[in-house]
Amino acid sequence: MLPKTADIVIIGGGINGTSLAYYLAKKGIKNIVILEKNFVCSGATGRCGAGIRQQWGTPENTSLAMEAVKLFETLSEELDWDIEYEQCGYLIPAFTDEFADQFSKNVRMQKKLGLDVSYLTPQEAKDIVPDLCVDNVRAATYCSTDGGGNPLLTTYAYAHRAKELGVKIHTKTEVTDITVSGGNITSVVTDKGTISTPMIFNAAGGHSQEIAAMVDIDLPINSYRHQILVTEPVEHFFDPMIISFDYNIYFRQVKHGSILMGCSDTSEKPGYDTTSTLDFIKDITTRSIKIMPKLKKLNVLRQWAGLYNVTPDAMPIIGDVADVGGYFQAVGFSGHGYMLGPKVATLMAELIADGKRDEIIDRLSLERFKSGNITVDSSVC
Amino acid sequence: MKTDSFDVLVIGGGPAGLCACAELSRCGIKVLLVDEGPVLGGQLVKQTHKFFGSREHYAGVRGIEIPDKLQEEIDEKLITVYSSSTVVGIYPPNNNVLIYRDQKKVEEHSFKYIIIATGASENMILFENNDLPGIYGAGAVQTLMNQYGIIPGKNMLMVGAGNIGLIVSYQLLQAGCRVKKLIEAAPSIGGYLVHASKIIRMGIPVQTSTTILKAIGTEKVEGAITVKLDENWNQIEGTEEEIEVDTICLSVGLAPSYKLAVHAGCKQIFIRELGGMIPWRNSSQETSVNGIYIAGDACGVEEASSAMIEGRLAGLNIAKCMKRLSEKACNEKIDDNLISLDKLRSGPFGERIVEGIRKLEGKSYE
Repeated sequence: MLPKTADIVIIGGGINGTSLAYYLAKKGIKNIVILEKNFVCSGATGRCGAGIRQQWGTPENTSLAMEAVKLFETLSEELDWDIEYEQCGYLIPAFTDEFADQFSKNVRMQKKLGLDVSYLTPQEAKDIVPDLCVDNVRAATYCSTDGGGNPLLTTYAYAHRAKELGVKIHTKTEVTDITVSGGNITSVVTDKGTISTPMIFNAAGGHSQEIAAMVDIDLPINSYRHQILVTEPVEHFFDPMIISFDYNIYFRQVKHGSILMGCSDTSEKPGYDTTSTLDFIKDITTRSIKIMPKLKKLNVLRQWAGLYNVTPDAMPIIGDVADVGGYFQAVGFSGHGYMLGPKVATLMAELIADGKRDEIIDRLSLERFKSGNITVDSSVC
Repeated sequence: MKTDSFDVLVIGGGPAGLCACAELSRCGIKVLLVDEGPVLGGQLVKQTHKFFGSREHYAGVRGIEIPDKLQEEIDEKLITVYSSSTVVGIYPPNNNVLIYRDQKKVEEHSFKYIIIATGASENMILFENNDLPGIYGAGAVQTLMNQYGIIPGKNMLMVGAGNIGLIVSYQLLQAGCRVKKLIEAAPSIGGYLVHASKIIRMGIPVQTSTTILKAIGTEKVEGAITVKLDENWNQIEGTEEEIEVDTICLSVGLAPSYKLAVHAGCKQIFIRELGGMIPWRNSSQETSVNGIYIAGDACGVEEASSAMIEGRLAGLNIAKCMKRLSEKACNEKIDDNLISLDKLRSGPFGERIVEGIRKLEGKSYE
């Protein structure tokens, strides 16, 4: 049964919703309800590429990711649950002079923020991944503390621990409306009933703009299909996640031996379609074997799709808003919600429970789009 | 994209798929048949026992003889067979199909009409050490013995007394193996009496209300522990029994293999009587996706005889859509097959299926 009242209703049972619930509950907030229209981790989190990297193109994304990595380093211990976090590194080769130049600027910015990152020659890149084809590689960047985890285990662990702290999770429950009175949130209407609440947290991932629209907030966000495939498991033969912005692709050999690879299709139109396409398999396999010819021998096991929730600058929108009291959000992660979500959740928990406002919240607020003066992070694929 | 001269793709060359091909080729329709095995026939190629029922349902004929009879019905000029090949995906909206041909190369085709006749796969049950070498599905044992002439072990424990468990137990005896015990979790034997009597006469002890608790062994199976169940299917403490065997054979039911239908976007519904989640279909065997048909165990676990008729129905309904046969002639043939199917399901063993079909027809996939 859906409770009649809550102190806060979190919309979305992915990494953002469950981690926020956990951190809020840990701070002693009671009557937290998570509403999830499908099942926990059924959306973007459970379908993502599972990488955790700090090598970004903007200081905001980089410093947030560095904080996130600190959190991930002790997360299995904190949640007493092995989330399969590993720091296997990220290797980013540049195949054009343009990207090589961009990367050297990125590395300078990242080093200034204290990230242990290197700018490598093609041979140095090949020393890290011997099977990498470096024929056309101009340079590469590498950070050994980047890595990845298991998004499903991470989300389940947060959800499980949150439940132990009293959080109520209602799955198969879809939010259909949100009521506002006198400029403040008053209730959330679902297909299973209505909950009175003074606060909501929009963590609806690929559908965040639809939730925001219910309180007349127009988010500058579009959702795009993003497809991924996984190969058969084979003996471990390379460590880092490899990304190429030239080929618009990333791939990594995960713990049990499968290679996970994904890419964004630049011709994809905004929408909510998550069906798999044949073109994706054809495109990504063609592209990936140019970077690592050895992949040619592998069989594809499965493919699937999820939604990227994309903002104009590829950085998330977090915090509260001026016009609607009690409305909070962590949306528009643009494909990096899993890696940034838990850190953002700790900041949001401090804002909601303690009234403590970290300066990054202002820098990543919805307000930034009003000035029209935004810097786009181009290190996205 | 490859341009194709085929009108219809049939996936699976078992009883349902072969019968579909027979009806299609009789109407002059060009078919591509893709089958994962080296020879056509599906599960029939290992069924050394005789079928029951009436002559029209191949009564008295051994399963292994049926594929040849069915292939005689098919016009060779109209059918192209890819054996040892796998359909790995059907992509909406244009039914683009990926085929892994001869386990060597990938081909892409597009079809207006597809019949999914992929059969079923064996269920697994949970018990300690259930991943030890020496634990087989009964179907796998049948394939090893009857198709490749390999005996999986010497001393067996058979788990499950449905028809497959009973028949495979008998075949194991024929092959010179010892079936030390046959256990069944239900309070009574599920398969036909004629099969059960045969193995009881041969001296195989049958224990009902009994299940497997664990497999014993480190590198391979060396034994098993069984336990009695009470009327609520709870294990009765103190009734554990150890049995020394080198092979454990599981015959605990089948589940429809309908993954390709899901991939193609066919809507599914849950009908317990037909094996759980299955693709929705109408009485023409057509799924919720226009042009995609499904027949045989893939749309509800039943028997080879009914799979054959469903295959024929799918083929005839496609012929009707393609107008390759007069509507009247098509309808007559379809009616004959529907009557034949009803007859097949009219016995006590058909009750569950009939109830399942009744539920299916009462439900829309929306």
